[in-house]
Amino acid sequence: MEQILFGIGITAMAGALATVAGAAEDTESDIGSQGDPNSQVQLAPQMGYIHRIFNKAVAGEPPAYGLWVALGAGIAWAFMAMQINAILAIVIGSALAVFVQGVYATTAYLGRTASLAKFGQPVYIDIIKSVTTVTMAHAFVAIFTTVAMCHLMNAALGHPFPLPLLGLVWGIALGAAGSATGNPFYGKERQYQEQKFGAGVPISASGNIVRYAEAGQRSSIDNGWFTTKLGGPASGVCFGLIVFFELWRTVVFEELNVWAPIIVGVVIILVFMVIDRYIEVWARKNFGPYTTETEEAAA
Amino acid sequence: MSALGGPAQTGGVQQPTAIGIVGGLVLIIIALAIAFFVVQMAGLIALIGIIIGGVLVAFGVHFVPVGGAPAAMGQAPGIATGVAMLAAGAGLAGLFGGAWAAEFGLAVALAGGAVGGGLMMAITCLMVNVTYIFGMGIPAASGKVDKDPITGDTFPAYKSQGTEGHGLPFISYVGGVIGGTLGGLGGTLIYLMLLGVYEEVLPVTLNASVEEIAPVAVSLAGIFAVGMFLVNAVLAAYNITGTIEGPHDPKFKRFPRAVIAAAVASAVTGIVAIMLVGVL
Repeated sequence: MEQILFGIGITAMAGALATVAGAAEDTESDIGSQGDPNSQVQLAPQMGYIHRIFNKAVAGEPPAYGLWVALGAGIAWAFMAMQINAILAIVIGSALAVFVQGVYATTAYLGRTASLAKFGQPVYIDIIKSVTTVTMAHAFVAIFTTVAMCHLMNAALGHPFPLPLLGLVWGIALGAAGSATGNPFYGKERQYQEQKFGAGVPISASGNIVRYAEAGQRSSIDNGWFTTKLGGPASGVCFGLIVFFELWRTVVFEELNVWAPIIVGVVIILVFMVIDRYIEVWARKNFGPYTTETEEAAA
Repeated sequence: MSALGGPAQTGGVQQPTAIGIVGGLVLIIIALAIAFFVVQMAGLIALIGIIIGGVLVAFGVHFVPVGGAPAAMGQAPGIATGVAMLAAGAGLAGLFGGAWAAEFGLAVALAGGAVGGGLMMAITCLMVNVTYIFGMGIPAASGKVDKDPITGDTFPAYKSQGTEGHGLPFISYVGGVIGGTLGGLGGTLIYLMLLGVYEEVLPVTLNASVEEIAPVAVSLAGIFAVGMFLVNAVLAAYNITGTIEGPHDPKFKRFPRAVIAAAVASAVTGIVAIMLVGVL
């Protein structure tokens, strides 16, 4: 019983860390513009829309976070093997991984933006100075929390994978969850803020992203401010739920029977399926079919 | 990356060619023969398991609804990320669960891996719809079919003007869960097969007990399983070219080509993973 209680505590802690990691990951990728919506940031100058948005999508979020978290976990693991305190080792590992992220962000911005020179897009040095450090700060939070979560899985819950391998696995999963949940909010609601709410962006509007703010030109840091209202927390909840339920079903039910975590997992999947169907029907009923402005006026 | 998320999508079924099938079979037979020669029957069985695992991964990827860049603007249905990466995220979450349950035997570990992958996709797909519905006010609408094959919901009236649809209809949600389940199952099978070979061969070659070599065996099997998972997921992504809505998408019928390619790729990469310890 004591073992189960200890496991539940670790599971809750890991779930909380994962929630923070998911939120920080999505915010970092939105400020740095690393998700799929960056296709529009790259496309905009080609359509004649010069902008001041950061641009570092030379890799998808999952492989990038796989690298950074595995790197942080690997360095932390090496320090722990040298008998250095675990928390200190994770902080040093995450900090060194963030330097790699900073180099990646800088070179990616310079490379991607320089490739748009023939369309008249300048490389803004002040953007590198002001935005890169903000993405690095958010990346540190995401990497530190994920490495700490992996350390709990390995040291406290006894998962057989070594820390760097857990870092790679959960880093890729973090990037996948964060990009899947957060990208539409950053892409549709922020980059195309001037388009109608409640409808997809028409393909003909591609590249015409919002480039101006209340005063002056829009900065990528403003995009992070906006997406933390929904995209970031939703990504955090997504990754937090994944980690929590993955651990919870094993920690709590494995003592009853080795098949119990699997049955519980299937039940949880069915519950989420029912919730999904409910909100899908709710949306159809409350939003109704798509109507154009003329139809609305005639009605 | 183009604005529409990739090259022109034919949607047509492209069956594997005869020369491709024969060439693939020859490579698989050579790999199986080498596995038998290097680690005898254990190697042969392990490589067959790895090939089945790779095929499951590649087949599973075709179920995952991925909309790429257009989905991020609500221009196309699916999850707004890359095919291979999303499948890898789900499959590796499954591998985590499967590896944890490895001590309870093959059946429990495989089921644990499958459920882990399915659970990751169930939660991710739900949160995608939460973002679309509560963050963007957009109901789900498929661009490939007029009616959901499971629920019977009709889509044309709900599709925004100038788009190919948006969000995740229920059939795509179910496809995502099936894809994650197959990915987790395949990834775990590859891991368990490699772990079995390493635990059998490494104690003899390194002159140590099974307990002593366990960390090395687990690490090697885990790294190769992740690597082979990515190989098969990327192969399937090339077969899909860009985006897919799920099992109802006409592109889904392209899977036989990916299955053959995945079998060959798994045999070739699998034999490298086995020979690593077999020829020591």
